[in-house]
Amino acid sequence: MSIFQSSLRKPLIEGKKSYQEITSQILDPLVNKPIKLWYFAITLSGGAMLFGLLMMGWTIWQGIGTWGENRTVGWAFEISTFVWWIGIGHAGTFISAILLLFRQRWRNSINRSAEAMTLFAVICAALFPFIHLGRPLLTFFIFPYPNTRLLWVNFNSPLVWDVFAIATYFTISLVFWYVGLIPDIATLRDKLRKGLKKTVYNFLSFSWKGSARDWHRHEVTSIMLAAIATPLVLSVHSIVSMDFADSILPGWHTTIFPPYFVAGAIYSGFAMVLTLLIIARKLMNLEDFITVEHVESMNKILIATGSIVALAYITETFMSWYSGIEYEQYMLQNRMTGPYAWAYWIMIICNVGSAQLLWIKKLRRSLLFTFFISIVINIGMWFERFVIIVTSLHRDFLPSSWTMYKPTIVEYGLLIGTLGIFFTAFLLFIRVFPVISISEEKSILKTENALQVAKEIHHG
Amino acid sequence: MDEQFIFSKQYRNILPILAAVSLVVFLLAVVLSGSGSARIWSNILLNNQFFLGISLGAAFFIAVHRVATSGWQTVIQRVPDAMTSFLPVAFILMLLIYFGMNDIYAWADSEVYEGLTGAKKIWLNIPFYFVRMVLYFAGWIFFIRMMKKNSESLTISSDLKYHNRRKIFAGLFLVFFGITVSASSWDWIMSLKPDWYSTIFGWYVLISMFVASLCFIILITWLLRRMGYLKVLRSDHVHDLAILLFAFSIFWAYQWFAQYLLIWYGHLPEETSYFIPRQHEFTLLFFLNLGINFIVPFFGLIRTSSKYNLNRVAAIAAMTLIGHWIDYWLLIMPETAGTKATIGLPEISMTLIYACGFIYIFFRTLSHGPLIVKNDPFLQESLNYES
Amino acid sequence: MPYRSQKKSIMDNKDYISVYFDDEDPMLQALRRLKENNLTIIDVLTPFPVHGIDKLLSVKRTRIPVGGFIFGALGGILAFWFMTWVFTVSYPLIIGGKPFFALPSFVPITFEMTVLFAGLSMAAGMFLRSKLKPDIRFKPADERITDNMFVIVIGSNANTTRESIRTVLSGISIIEIR
Repeated sequence: MSIFQSSLRKPLIEGKKSYQEITSQILDPLVNKPIKLWYFAITLSGGAMLFGLLMMGWTIWQGIGTWGENRTVGWAFEISTFVWWIGIGHAGTFISAILLLFRQRWRNSINRSAEAMTLFAVICAALFPFIHLGRPLLTFFIFPYPNTRLLWVNFNSPLVWDVFAIATYFTISLVFWYVGLIPDIATLRDKLRKGLKKTVYNFLSFSWKGSARDWHRHEVTSIMLAAIATPLVLSVHSIVSMDFADSILPGWHTTIFPPYFVAGAIYSGFAMVLTLLIIARKLMNLEDFITVEHVESMNKILIATGSIVALAYITETFMSWYSGIEYEQYMLQNRMTGPYAWAYWIMIICNVGSAQLLWIKKLRRSLLFTFFISIVINIGMWFERFVIIVTSLHRDFLPSSWTMYKPTIVEYGLLIGTLGIFFTAFLLFIRVFPVISISEEKSILKTENALQVAKEIHHG
Repeated sequence: MDEQFIFSKQYRNILPILAAVSLVVFLLAVVLSGSGSARIWSNILLNNQFFLGISLGAAFFIAVHRVATSGWQTVIQRVPDAMTSFLPVAFILMLLIYFGMNDIYAWADSEVYEGLTGAKKIWLNIPFYFVRMVLYFAGWIFFIRMMKKNSESLTISSDLKYHNRRKIFAGLFLVFFGITVSASSWDWIMSLKPDWYSTIFGWYVLISMFVASLCFIILITWLLRRMGYLKVLRSDHVHDLAILLFAFSIFWAYQWFAQYLLIWYGHLPEETSYFIPRQHEFTLLFFLNLGINFIVPFFGLIRTSSKYNLNRVAAIAAMTLIGHWIDYWLLIMPETAGTKATIGLPEISMTLIYACGFIYIFFRTLSHGPLIVKNDPFLQESLNYES
Repeated sequence: MPYRSQKKSIMDNKDYISVYFDDEDPMLQALRRLKENNLTIIDVLTPFPVHGIDKLLSVKRTRIPVGGFIFGALGGILAFWFMTWVFTVSYPLIIGGKPFFALPSFVPITFEMTVLFAGLSMAAGMFLRSKLKPDIRFKPADERITDNMFVIVIGSNANTTRESIRTVLSGISIIEIR
């Protein structure tokens, strides 16, 4: 049963496959041994992860003094990296949830890996609240539990809102991801011959049998989870932005932060999805599923969100000037021409320049350019958080407190370490679970095959 | 399929008569209530903004769907198309504000102007204000005209190059629109309170604009169905319109709350001075605004079955449209009319005048050309759309 | 459904006839044919959700979303009440000049709890209603179903035999009947 499609559309699954071919091509990388490059990659990322874990241990052992923060600049590298990772995670939910609600069928081949990416990104982010508390063993203080001091957490604080928001975000993403994964685990279970692997997948498949009534509930639950995950995407990064916006610091206290941060999050998230999938599709022979059309669609979202971010920069620049408030005006002047101006201009060039280049169709459809620009965008987005945080802190209302911030090797190690954790997790994920949602791809196969046939008749 | 909207004599007569009657009521009410020219000009600004917003929101609707290569809306494409024809009229109406500048904008008064800081002096003065206004409208009218022209050429020739061209103009329009819709809201609405600013303001007005135009699109679709047109409309199209209304109403509420929470939390007098009069002197309207624009669409459209029902969706759209009028009222009136601001006969009758004018122009444009676009590459997809 | 509690695969059960298809269109055709002939369809097993099955099998729309709404509302009310109690009754503190009953501050957490409760309850609802649980001794009806087979399971009795089914479904491309 296929849906009618305009002849202007390009097929989302190439090669006029059969259902069996979908199953075997997607499960191939899982059933066979990994390629040499995988071992090389995981050694690299594993090494980075180990270095990061070492630095984390050193921080917990020696204390926050091992970092470069001082009294004026109380937040810098770590909170930037924290916000960066949370932001990256948002693409997964956007793809899984919002694109499902907008019925964009091209999401079917990318949502599984994007959602997995979200989970790993949130895990990386969640490490920072843990280690930057100073006394991580007392982390449980964040949660409201009845205690002998009769104290509760400060529900007025955005930092507490963060705890609930990120916990909810992680839980719902995990549930959403796993619910979608179950039919595919069942496929994998059935593809394997006897053995420990099969038993484990059998256990994980929750006795899925493909019954029509189960599929009905599965579909409804997926749509409903998508429906609630959508406002979650908005709310989580808005609440994270309120860590800054709820202050009265120039450059932080500005009402545009919530939607601006959300747009920026989706921007960096999609860039990371592109970085990972452009490589994965090549090395795992999934080019028929993640086509140039998919890459172009993701690039269009990059244009949209990148433009929103650029618009936010314009707005903040204008308002700084328009407000006539000396503190706001100095904040902007300092960003543009002060000691951290190099970071500000990297941010502008990487975030604004890159997305606007994607208006050119040739560049939008070029995988090499997209890969390159996606990395540039993520660098730019990291610098955006750094600029926002450090330039507003290091020179605020009292000039005698003005100082500079210099990161230590421990902090660089933490950033590299989270990258290591993220990529290691992703490399393990592609060995354990199907990277593409098998059942969802099968459900659009007929439509895509029909489109290819129609095109052949048209051209032939 | 080959439907042609006929702008019947009945409507062609009723609308101007209703407008004329409303005008008389308006003038009488203003004279009898003793309110000065400030009330007249406030209402003109309010309705200018509201109906301009509906027009621009429709253009935004078209452009975004073009750029996203979305096909489902093709069946009702002509509705938002025709809505944009109000723009030139809106331009002239906004230019007329020149005669009411002193009644509306505090900074138009030379004493207040002298008291402003340097930056505001450069931005908020009458010449520059109107230069920017001309630029905004010139760009909007140009890009929309280009999109329309290519659509018309496509209808006649079915050459796909027109489709590609209108896609390019849609993209250019969106870039220009993104910047100018924010800037225009700063100029026309935010500057009503020159000592105040909020960076989210432009985006807040944009979404309010967009939801209002969605409501209008839904209501017109309902009306056309009632008149017997759009026989090819499926409940699937209605469902998607309802989803947009539902989703963007939630997004509007989110932006409302984001602005409110941040200003409430910061507790800075220069920022809270915006909300204090609205929340304490116009309390009912303030919370009614939130209720109608969020609670009604949220609970009214949350059930899947509701979204497929055109009557129900239209009812919610009607309420939400009124809700967004109240939203604009709250943006403008407390500044221009101060504590005396109210919703009385002048407000309602002026809105009626504008509504009649808008609908007249809309119907006239709609009747020029086929009701369902021809030769559109996404038409077949839209006709067979399953949601 | 009776066979779900059985450890054996339904293929071993002589009371059921399974009809195999390799594509969803003949399967839907067959489903319509079987319904016309008033045959009891026990279940339909597919590798992905197929549009149209629900209507043919008269599958009632699941009430999971209703449960989600109710539990979500519950979670929201619980969160809001708790924060209100903490700040107005248990340990009122003036923090940052905010009032004790800081309504705007409570909104983010209330919202998150609503979403959390709604999501978890819907997922739980799905697992419970479909009786999906991890079971290492689980054996699927046929391992090809999750790959590319579409199976209609019909109850067999004196009148309904494999041969009679074959005659009823003549003209539709069937892979096999078990």
